[in-house]
Amino acid sequence: MEVINPRSALLSNYEVLTLLRELESDHLAKTKTALRIKKEEEALGKPVTGTSAIEDETCENLRTVEVEAIQYLTSDFQPISAQSDAGITKLVKDLEPYGFTKAEKLQIVNLAPTEAVELYVIVEELEDRLGERMEEVLSHVRASLDPDAVVVVSSTQPSAAAVDNEEPPNPPAETGSTTEVYEEETWIQDANYIEWDDSGAGAGVEGDLEMEEE
Amino acid sequence: MFQLSIVKDTLPILPAAFALPPEQALIAAINKKYANRVLHEVGLCIAVFDLVEAGEGRVRYGDGCLWYKVTFRMVVFRPFASEVILARVKSSDEEGIRLTLGFFDDVYVPLAYLPQPAAFDPNERAHFWLPEAATEDASAPSTHELLDSPTTSRMYIDKGEVLRVRVEMDEFYDDEPGPPKATEGVRIERERRAPYTVTCSIAEQGLGPVAWWKSAEPATDAEMDQA
Repeated sequence: MEVINPRSALLSNYEVLTLLRELESDHLAKTKTALRIKKEEEALGKPVTGTSAIEDETCENLRTVEVEAIQYLTSDFQPISAQSDAGITKLVKDLEPYGFTKAEKLQIVNLAPTEAVELYVIVEELEDRLGERMEEVLSHVRASLDPDAVVVVSSTQPSAAAVDNEEPPNPPAETGSTTEVYEEETWIQDANYIEWDDSGAGAGVEGDLEMEEE
Repeated sequence: MFQLSIVKDTLPILPAAFALPPEQALIAAINKKYANRVLHEVGLCIAVFDLVEAGEGRVRYGDGCLWYKVTFRMVVFRPFASEVILARVKSSDEEGIRLTLGFFDDVYVPLAYLPQPAAFDPNERAHFWLPEAATEDASAPSTHELLDSPTTSRMYIDKGEVLRVRVEMDEFYDDEPGPPKATEGVRIERERRAPYTVTCSIAEQGLGPVAWWKSAEPATDAEMDQA
């Protein structure tokens, strides 16, 4: 093992949560399919194959950290439930003229300070640098938080959610080919995910947070 | 708080996973090896972000696995110094406060980084801050004086409370169970240390329990004027 770059980019909490949620829904779909296949095979009196056991085993560590991190990121003291793709993109653009460093912008996105005290902690020498414009920054943050955003969040990744939900009733009778069909579908999801990620960089969210130098 | 690290490794894929597309099998193998583990001087690995590069799978003499050279990006938990994060109080003792993030709980606030003057209340098993005591005199009051203060004026940091903390430093320990060490004939007991600990501070305006600063914003301004 060799670490090529320990910190090639910084990620916002929101990005991490999106990734973890995707893993979670992937995993749930996989478990569902595995269960269904197992049931069908049992119904047909076939011997149980070992594939599902392998799937379970691979992910134990990942599952632990995934579930716990999702719990932390979605707990009620985090602003993340009110955040959305569009909101964060806009917030980062709005923060442009104030001359924040990348780290400060990242923390403003992560913590979404809506009170002056919170901003004092994040930004060094806040008064000298911003003076009267502090209130503007806070209002930008408030504007980026949408109280109804929970709906928006789920609709940002329609491909994964929709495919997962509609997938089970599709092939009810076939037994042999179901696994393969499913695999192709996860593939498509992965491709979608990467595309979405690229567009994020184009829109300037990720690009802003990337760290070229330490 | 989270970052992307680029890591290169050579990994075996078991024959049982040959049916999967190689990318999928590789990501599963990487996650299995790295997820929820601490990489020395890198941080706590969460999950694979994506694959950067992967070579052809090769069969080596001696096993039936396909070995891939793969470069990938990993989501890693490693808050940078001076970053502000939110964490819950896991426990308190005479040496400080231990915090938890759910997926990571080796986060500590030592006594030196508590807001002054502060003291540990052994009855409540919690630290408290006594802002009133600070304004009277420049010299720090003794622990006895602090513990004699009326309970109502104490600001307790209770278990389960959400704190806003600033990361001061982090440390990695790579304690491998090696041969027993001895200096001057005395065997040194090794104790297992956490591989990765984060030290945080709450000794600053705006840090500490979130509730302190949410409700009483005008009051704190007045406090600052006095001090």
